[in-house]
Amino acid sequence: MKTRVLVVLGGLGLLLASRPIAAHHSFTAEFDAAKPIMLTGAVTKFEWTNPHAWIYIDAKDEKGAVSNWGFELAAASGLMRSGWTRLTLKAGDVVTIEGTRAKNGSNNANAQTVTLASTGKKLFAGANTQTQP
Amino acid sequence: MKRSFTVVVSAAIVAAFSASLSAQWALHPKPTVPKGRDGKPNLSAPAPRTADGKPDLSGIWMRTNRTEAPGSAPAGQPPLATFGNIGVGFKEGLPYRPLAVDLVKKRVGALDNPDALCLPQGPLEYHLDPQPREIIQLPQKIVIVYESNYGIRTIYTDGRALPKQGEPQPYWHGYSVGRWDGDTLVVTSNNFRGAVTGLPGDGWLDGKGDPFTDALTLTERFRRVNFGQLNIDVTIDDPKAYTRPFTVRVEQEIVADGSEMIEFICHENQKFLKLTGREN
Repeated sequence: MKTRVLVVLGGLGLLLASRPIAAHHSFTAEFDAAKPIMLTGAVTKFEWTNPHAWIYIDAKDEKGAVSNWGFELAAASGLMRSGWTRLTLKAGDVVTIEGTRAKNGSNNANAQTVTLASTGKKLFAGANTQTQP
Repeated sequence: MKRSFTVVVSAAIVAAFSASLSAQWALHPKPTVPKGRDGKPNLSAPAPRTADGKPDLSGIWMRTNRTEAPGSAPAGQPPLATFGNIGVGFKEGLPYRPLAVDLVKKRVGALDNPDALCLPQGPLEYHLDPQPREIIQLPQKIVIVYESNYGIRTIYTDGRALPKQGEPQPYWHGYSVGRWDGDTLVVTSNNFRGAVTGLPGDGWLDGKGDPFTDALTLTERFRRVNFGQLNIDVTIDDPKAYTRPFTVRVEQEIVADGSEMIEFICHENQKFLKLTGREN
């Protein structure tokens, strides 16, 4: 159910869209660009925080075993500039997330896109990698 | 390393925006923003001035994303710097001394980047971060608030002299004094902590880890070209790290739509040390 009050500001949207979303951490220190990942699952937790927001989902592997995965997004402040709010996702929402796995092999990744299963709407999530070394 | 998702990102952002925007995003456009005939902000209008006739640099500024190929800066104009690499515009690279060569090698992987550690950003990092910064110009001083990592700098414009190197305690952002050279604000800073402390995060100019030491004298020339654009030419004079001074340019554009700075408490949910294996 959508209880958010939404206002359509198309022109403003395009204006803001031309702005970079906040990047913060050293992407290459944490994530391995050679290990892309795409998982679908229900949101268990959405941390609307800085320096990065995090989404946790329960995702099934190919054998059907469920495990919890964390995905790093841009900063909450940067997501806010691109139209997200702390209410954009809630526990139980099913999402498909494309990203890049953590170098340390843990169940963590950097998210580049988040797609809501209910609407098919694709939300940009990641850091602006142009800012990285 | 550079990964470009520009196409995907642009498409996704436009898609996200064309649908809706939350009402939480409250805009407070200033009535002082000059407007064109179409009613939109006129960014090429003249720069505003303060009561004493100086250009007023006050406002919220975003870096532009314009880049240049190495060696292609127009004659007489410093090459553009990027957040990741301030020396990207120099074909021959930066004039490193051996100390700088060693530090850059050690910093591959960017584990000690102050930005990643939620510590105060280095010079050029704070000018080039994709988050905005607000310049507040007062009669006796100018304050710059950097949204990223909650950085704050005070630039004294009351005519005081720059202290001698080593006199005050060294600061992350150095000690800064400013004076006007025509319509250009010239800010000189010294007494930086610099890389010689050996502490994580000290002495980073950019995301790549180009270093500075406690010998740095930083000169920033701020020129508000018009209402919408601010150019900052930054000269790094650090005889311990570089064989000669060099200058790079930063371009920033005004935020004219009435959007504002957003709180950014970096240590709120910091997972960098865990993900890089330095903390359990």
